[in-house]
Amino acid sequence: MNDADVSKQIQQMVRFIRQEAEEKANEISVSAEEEFNIEKLQLVEAEKKKIRQEYERKERQVEIRKKIEYSMQLNASRIKVLQAQDDVISSMKEAASKELLNVSHHHDDHVYRNLLKDLIVQCLLRLKEPSVLLRCRKDDLHLVENVLDSAAQEYAEKANVDPPEIIVDNQVYLPPGLTHQNSHDLYCSGGVVLASRDGKIVCENTLDARLDVVFRKKLPEIRKQLFGQIVA
Amino acid sequence: MDPFKGQGGIQMLLIAEQEAQHIVSNARNLRTQRLKQAKDEVEREAAQYRSHMEDEYQKLISENTGSSGSNVKRLEEETDAKIKNLKKSTSKISSEVVDMLLKYVTNIKT
Repeated sequence: MNDADVSKQIQQMVRFIRQEAEEKANEISVSAEEEFNIEKLQLVEAEKKKIRQEYERKERQVEIRKKIEYSMQLNASRIKVLQAQDDVISSMKEAASKELLNVSHHHDDHVYRNLLKDLIVQCLLRLKEPSVLLRCRKDDLHLVENVLDSAAQEYAEKANVDPPEIIVDNQVYLPPGLTHQNSHDLYCSGGVVLASRDGKIVCENTLDARLDVVFRKKLPEIRKQLFGQIVA
Repeated sequence: MDPFKGQGGIQMLLIAEQEAQHIVSNARNLRTQRLKQAKDEVEREAAQYRSHMEDEYQKLISENTGSSGSNVKRLEEETDAKIKNLKKSTSKISSEVVDMLLKYVTNIKT
């Protein structure tokens, strides 16, 4: 083998080495690009999914907050309406309560006197006692004493018994009617309270007590008139 | 055989091997860089996507605020209307109810 041949062979080997290296480099490069794309795609998808889930959660929270807020507003609204309903009913009862004063103040004595007699008779019929205690307002004392005999007689006839003994309490009176001065105190708009002698059975027949009973009894009817068929 | 030429030949082969190693190493380094680049691009795209989602979210919030506001306003209007109607019907029947109550209070059954 001469020098030229040797040199030629070495050149060939050098080219082969470089070619091998470049092929390997190219292979690495191609697979790198594939890995790049796959990796990127996977990572992007994973990140997006994470972000999407995060925002879905936040949006759900917004929806929930929105519903809670509306629900609270709706509840407050309902309470407001119910309160208004209560207020108007209370104001009606209050108006009626004020009118009670007219019953015992501005009517002529005859009407109120007759009322007192009937109230006493009603109590006597319920108590069915031979002897009772009676309390009234101080202002009504003269009217009560005026009608005691006729009330006792009427009861006796209705119940077919002897006229009962009615003892009027001259020491303790029912409180006076509501005025500006006693607007925070107990008050009585009129009527009487009767009790058995031992005090165990009481028949409270004041105008205010009667109004309470009537009001409670007529409340469904009043609400129906005001609020229609809707049960609030 | 010339000893110089023989040594030169071996030297050339060694150099070729080294260059080959460099070529392969460079390729490997590029690959590593490329993968890192992938992560960088992922972060950039993720940031863009997040920004987009945030915009949508803020839009939703402002819409909800408006919507919630209009809902609340409508609710207030409905409530006020109900109460207004209530007061109207109250004034209509109030004296009637009071009279009815007083009638029962003063009508004594004996």
